[in-house]
Amino acid sequence: MTAEAAEAEIDEEIIVTLSDYLDNVLPPDKKAEVAAKIANDAAWKSAHAEMVDARQAIGETLSGLQKARPDVKFTDDVTGTIAKRSAGRFFGRRTFGDRVPFVAILVVALLGLGIIAYIMWSSPTGSLKVDKERTPGAQGSAIIDKP
Amino acid sequence: MSELERSLLRRLRDRDERAFRELVNDHRDRVFNITYRMLGNRHEAEDVAQEVFITVFKTIETFREESKFSTWLYRVTVNHCKNRIKYLARRHDRDRDELDETSQQQNGAVNGAPVRAKHPDKALESAQMEKLLQEAIASLDDDQRAVVILRDVEDLSIEEICEITGLPDGTVKSRLHRARLVLRKKMQRHVE
Repeated sequence: MTAEAAEAEIDEEIIVTLSDYLDNVLPPDKKAEVAAKIANDAAWKSAHAEMVDARQAIGETLSGLQKARPDVKFTDDVTGTIAKRSAGRFFGRRTFGDRVPFVAILVVALLGLGIIAYIMWSSPTGSLKVDKERTPGAQGSAIIDKP
Repeated sequence: MSELERSLLRRLRDRDERAFRELVNDHRDRVFNITYRMLGNRHEAEDVAQEVFITVFKTIETFREESKFSTWLYRVTVNHCKNRIKYLARRHDRDRDELDETSQQQNGAVNGAPVRAKHPDKALESAQMEKLLQEAIASLDDDQRAVVILRDVEDLSIEEICEITGLPDGTVKSRLHRARLVLRKKMQRHVE
């Protein structure tokens, strides 16, 4: 390993350790060890100062940036694009709304059947109409009496 | 993962449009902020943010719930941004080449020297802090850009950033530090 590569490796190690130190995620004994290195070692001291400065200058500036927001129509645009690309097949909504309302369809179907049954019942020619004069008992006696 | 999030995911897998709209409404600001800071252009940012949500909806089956949904979403976002950055760089190079060719054709007969497109500094001089920062961010390589935006703009933890970028912990920390140094240097130069 060259001296340059070794130095770069040390730098990397210092950066990682100091990052944890500044993020306050080191255990107490390790934290004390790093604090001692910062106090006694020139490389650690300058790296620490540089890191603190960069964090304050950039970290705080970036976190204070105004949040960019998308256009108010963004959600409609996305769903519209999906619907367009899938020719309306992607979402169930295109036919029946967000979800297929099976219960509502069942209720409507039962109502429809009820209405049809009522019409057939009340119609003079309806096949469901009960004709008391033509009940099986009455007709049966008529058939027997005829000859 | 909360029960609410699980329920939303179930509905997404059922292709429930209302669930999809909920998801977009919940995350669009953050996703857009990342795409905007990564790309530095509103139009491109909206386009990429749209693609992110379309990808999420199309590939929701592949999300295994091993990580937080937001982590997965931001991973998709960062990957889309990186792809767009590469695409825009290629297009920029191609456009610049075409511009150079045209300029050479127009001016070659006069002086014969290649003419490069000039980027006037006027806009830079009159720009405010945010614009300067945005430009400085754009000068970072895409990994550094992603790390510094996720950490300093979006305030995500180092662990989350590791999951999103797929980079080891040490790499994230050193890239973050080096990105901050580059940004500080660029900002200082502009301020001076």
